[in-house]
Amino acid sequence: MTDKNIRERIVEEVKKAPMLSISASKLMEITAQVDHETTEVVDVVMHDSNLTARVLKVVNSAAFGLMSPVTTIERAVTLLGERVVVGIAIGDSAGQLFNKALTGYESAGGELWKHDLRAAIASRQVAVHGKAGISADFAFTAGLLHDIGKAFLSDFMEGTAGPILEQIENNQATDYLESESELLGINHTEAGLILAEYWSLPEPLKVVIHHHHHPDQAPEEFKALTYCVHLGDIIAMMGGCGTGSDTLQYNLDPEYIRYLDLSPTQLAEVLLEVDEEFAKVSGSIAESKESPR
Amino acid sequence: MSQLILGVGDLGASKTSGGSVKTFALGSCVSVLLLDPKVRAVGMVHVALPESKINQTKAQSKPGYFADTGIPTLLQEMAKLGCNPRGQGMIVKLCGGANVMDPNDTFNIGKRNALAVKKVLWKYGMGAVSEDLGGNFSRTVTVFVDTGDVLLSSPGRPDWKL
Ligand SMILES: [Fe+2]
Ligand SMILES: [Fe+2]
Repeated sequence: MTDKNIRERIVEEVKKAPMLSISASKLMEITAQVDHETTEVVDVVMHDSNLTARVLKVVNSAAFGLMSPVTTIERAVTLLGERVVVGIAIGDSAGQLFNKALTGYESAGGELWKHDLRAAIASRQVAVHGKAGISADFAFTAGLLHDIGKAFLSDFMEGTAGPILEQIENNQATDYLESESELLGINHTEAGLILAEYWSLPEPLKVVIHHHHHPDQAPEEFKALTYCVHLGDIIAMMGGCGTGSDTLQYNLDPEYIRYLDLSPTQLAEVLLEVDEEFAKVSGSIAESKESPR
Repeated sequence: MSQLILGVGDLGASKTSGGSVKTFALGSCVSVLLLDPKVRAVGMVHVALPESKINQTKAQSKPGYFADTGIPTLLQEMAKLGCNPRGQGMIVKLCGGANVMDPNDTFNIGKRNALAVKKVLWKYGMGAVSEDLGGNFSRTVTVFVDTGDVLLSSPGRPDWKL
């Protein structure tokens, strides 16, 4: 089987992926606009009974830690933040991809979701602390989707983890991404981009998915956002939340300093905040799935 | 068999025969392992950051999160099991502290964690007999009460002992 064959098969798989829910697509469109109103988000949720139920469950979960129950969507959206609402909508409608065991990366089911969620939270904190001058909540959405391409590559990478790590260690490849390309003729950022096009995601999300490991290649207008996710991804991996064998096997681009102002102390603060926020958000979303309707 | 599982910033000790203490996926975090052969007790702390001064509240609620508060608290915890409160007679092992592939080393929290942990240990006159620090990979680590063996694993690599 040639590389081209595998590449074509992966592209076919991407085009068989489940579509995003209408609500998830709308929410991404709305939150991509810097000057949107929260009422627009509330509206989308109110017109989707499944999403309404889920949002209320998450905000009322024990992990979220509120004293009195929340019954209105307005209040739920305010308390959770728009980003978490978008996260729930994306996570629910693409759960099949996010929860897939990435066996080709020797990673268990659910780890991709955890990594993406942690990277989302970290990307947002980086945007806030680093004074990126972009919508921090949008950095969250971009972080959530950045590695979705791995869900399509994994099956074709069974048994390759050991040899790839050896390759990188011996400087025969610069990072995991290059090894993916060499092995399959496509890497996870390219597969992710094809999915993003198939899903008609807003342009900045396509850019981040495609360039999160090489943010210097992003168009100038989306560079700050791409650097936020570049660092958010690395911070997630530093926190022990990777997707298996490729954890920490990517290069950090030091040029982020041109877009982000992050001192070592701020970085430590970001790591700590990410830990706390992740425990709260991942806990409340998981809990809301477990309990019967 | 009783297994104690530690999250980020947790610490714990055990002298239950057949027991173990485990922590999953140390990235830039460092795990300090203390083994007391006389009392037959083991302890571990999962350190995330070097110094508690950046967040005193966190240091109060989760002392294990920082090197400077984590190690003293682990020693107190082990003293409850009958170990020497200053760590005398203990064997120290260290692992974790992974790094990012960063040419400028600005994200070197793993390295700083490892250094901070060693500094605190020096204050007690303690040093590690073996360590597995750094590298660009995450580690899951388990220490067994009966043998004092430390087992490490990482996706895509064969398991190894420390
Ligand atoms: Fe990636
Ligand atoms: Fe990632």
